[in-house]
Amino acid sequence: MSFLDIRNVSFSYNQKRMVLKHIDLGVDKGEWVAILGHNGSGKSTLAKTIVGLLHPQEGAITVGGIVLSDETAYDVRRKVGIVFQNPDNQFVGVTVRDDIAFGMENLSVPRADMLEKIRFYADKVGMSDFLDKEPSALSGGQKQRIAIAGILAMQTEMIIFDEATSMLDPSSRRELMDYIRELHDEGLTIVMITHDIEEALWADRLVVLKDGAVFADDTAENLFKRPDAFREAYLELPAALRIYYEMEAAGDMTPPLAETLWRLGSGR
Amino acid sequence: MAIRFRQVSYSYPGYGFGTYEAIRDVTLDIAATGEFIALVGQTGSGKSTLAQHMNALIFPTEGTVEIFGSVVGPKRDKNVKYNELRRKVGLVFQFPEYQLFEETVEKDVMFGPTNFGIPEEEAREMARKALELVGLGSQYLRRNPLNLSGGEKKRVSIAGILAMDPAILVLDEPTSGLDPRGKKTMMDLFRSIRGATGKSIVVITHDMDLVYEYMDRVLVLDRGRLAFDGTPDDLFRRNDLERLHLDHPSTIRVLKAVSEKLGIDLDVYQKDIASAVRELAKAVRP
Amino acid sequence: MKNIVIGQYVPGAGFFYRLDPRTKIISVIVLMVAVFLLGTILQVSLAFLAVLAVMLAGRISVGRVARGLRPLFVLLVFTFAFQIFLNREGALWVAQEMTVGLLSLSAVVVWTILWRLAARFRRMRSLFLLVWLAGVYAALSFLPAFGPVFARYSFEIYQRGVETSIFVVIRLLIVISLSTILTLTTKPTDLTQGLESLLRPLKKLGVNSDDFALIISISLRYIPTILDEANKIMLAQASRGADFNEGKLVEKVKQIVSLLIPMFIIAFKRSEDLADAMESRNFVPGKPRTRIHELAFGAADLVTAIVTVLFLAASILALVVA
Repeated sequence: MSFLDIRNVSFSYNQKRMVLKHIDLGVDKGEWVAILGHNGSGKSTLAKTIVGLLHPQEGAITVGGIVLSDETAYDVRRKVGIVFQNPDNQFVGVTVRDDIAFGMENLSVPRADMLEKIRFYADKVGMSDFLDKEPSALSGGQKQRIAIAGILAMQTEMIIFDEATSMLDPSSRRELMDYIRELHDEGLTIVMITHDIEEALWADRLVVLKDGAVFADDTAENLFKRPDAFREAYLELPAALRIYYEMEAAGDMTPPLAETLWRLGSGR
Repeated sequence: MAIRFRQVSYSYPGYGFGTYEAIRDVTLDIAATGEFIALVGQTGSGKSTLAQHMNALIFPTEGTVEIFGSVVGPKRDKNVKYNELRRKVGLVFQFPEYQLFEETVEKDVMFGPTNFGIPEEEAREMARKALELVGLGSQYLRRNPLNLSGGEKKRVSIAGILAMDPAILVLDEPTSGLDPRGKKTMMDLFRSIRGATGKSIVVITHDMDLVYEYMDRVLVLDRGRLAFDGTPDDLFRRNDLERLHLDHPSTIRVLKAVSEKLGIDLDVYQKDIASAVRELAKAVRP
Repeated sequence: MKNIVIGQYVPGAGFFYRLDPRTKIISVIVLMVAVFLLGTILQVSLAFLAVLAVMLAGRISVGRVARGLRPLFVLLVFTFAFQIFLNREGALWVAQEMTVGLLSLSAVVVWTILWRLAARFRRMRSLFLLVWLAGVYAALSFLPAFGPVFARYSFEIYQRGVETSIFVVIRLLIVISLSTILTLTTKPTDLTQGLESLLRPLKKLGVNSDDFALIISISLRYIPTILDEANKIMLAQASRGADFNEGKLVEKVKQIVSLLIPMFIIAFKRSEDLADAMESRNFVPGKPRTRIHELAFGAADLVTAIVTVLFLAASILALVVA
């Protein structure tokens, strides 16, 4: 039984255009799935439906055995946390400590437990020295780390990253990816929404959305064997693989070169 | 030279007390035509601050910036028409949300020319031309800019500056947040503007692949100082890129790795995929 | 640019900083009531001295409080003048015939222009204002009636007028000082949490006060962000020729619109995003929540309560005895 089960989900904001079309998707416990797609492919919409912020017109979503509905949304949100794209628009607290506490306050966690958990998770994301700082003193990357700490403190089992790196500069992006890898190693289930293939490479599995529908669902390695599919979905292969395919097309490829390029492109 | 920075520094009051120096002792020249310059550096290195000096939005706290003959120094000069300078050097900010406000795309793009006293009919014509230049046809004129997609909004904000017919165009991270398709469209747009008008373009970016493939000249800021002013080729041959917090473009990275792994000699300095492929083909053919 | 002190709160230590915000709020209200029970200049002066003593004992910088009074200076002058001019009881202390004629009016105009030009070199604005007033007084009173005369006015100051205005001004000073001590020593978030706690009984009447503190704290948290964005928007529009310093009225309206609309749009997007983020973190409006910040009463609060009650008792006594 998958941890996250999305079955035949369709969604439209205004009846005129279907943003999600009959999506079928499963994520096992501990798995890291990257959802890739061009701008407008429905990725963020899908993320919001998983936590019940949007209600699909059709289909069902099950999280950790709970079928998502208005009544169960609260319980589902105890199992799934979501880090959004804009670091500033999800930071609720007046200080770092207050923001990490927010989710726990909502779950009526006793104060003593909160203080301990804040200390623990702030340390985990490397922000122990920042507990009294205000958000205006933090960089985008630091705010995203606090968002992660706040979600971990709620002891969720799965985290969705909704283009969480797209508003960050390259070094903050790399830092955040390091944290996500760490979380994965510790057994957290991860759904990462991105349009950056280099980030998606780290996932166990890639799901490609195109115009609201699942276009491909496979490992990165297998998907790379279908360069036309990538092009069709308006995605770009990593540079090494683009070189690989052009070399192949021109007939200039040699086996050692092929192996090296393939490793470089699909490796981590 | 259209823009001349002479020992320009800019500092402002920082946290608590003391001042924060955003840029320090910067000297450089930018020609009015022909240049395609990348302005790069880590976040906080002063790139946006430097760009905002180019159209006199900010005044230096030390040194002078000469813009098309007018000298901008720390003190406000009554004889200098600072507003006119913003017409000559057009600066497009990173987020279209800071700029778009009118009910229709047409009106919003007309805002710039109108502010400079251009009569309505002429402004309308300039707006239409600018929108065409960015690839938005007449069907966009009546639309509400807030209902457009992210990429379309970016193009409207660029058109808003192009409509003022600036001599030099400066853009703050025009490709950030765009998917690969969007990035290519944007860079092709700059190519066509340069082709059609020959104007100099300055682009603030983090994307080294774009820098290597498209630009002629790179300015690197490191904690406020101008650490490098030269060609991309010269920049990427340096061995202190990590210290400057810059990546190598992916073509160089791939070719370097291949050269190491297979022990073959390669000219790794290839600007795009096509030339990288050609270089590999040459090296591999017996 | 980011170091903005919200409200008047200045971090510090000392007696007032240790108090529970609820104690401070209730004490300030009770003390204000006590002050309004007083009836004579002597009584309010004593009360004022008591407040000063308390501030010094609690190590509150009197200079800081005085600076907080500066924006209200005009209000104080106005209140003072109001009483002086309108209260015509008691003995007549000053009587001065004034003529508003062509000569005196022109003199006033010339004097004002000179004063404005000289104003650049003066530091003590308040004193300088008095100099201007003195000049106007002299011009209207002592210059002969030359040319057409528009009006004659009898400028009179009565005893009761002076007494009442002094009384009212001192009382106002006490009230403002008390509230300044409150805002100076209480973090805005603690203040709102205190208010929220005090308003809790209102829940029985159907008013949901629980989320009040959260609403205020979120608004406060975004002030630096919004200021920063406003600056960026102004720069972006200035890039398109919107000169926020100059321009005719019609242009200025357009410029302000070009600043406000993006701010509103960004604010709306922010509230949507924030609502999503809060909901996804299990926030349910009205549902009871635990708090990371606890309010707790201590010994200092007890002392404050006792002193406040004593003040109130003293005022009531003064009222009854008089």
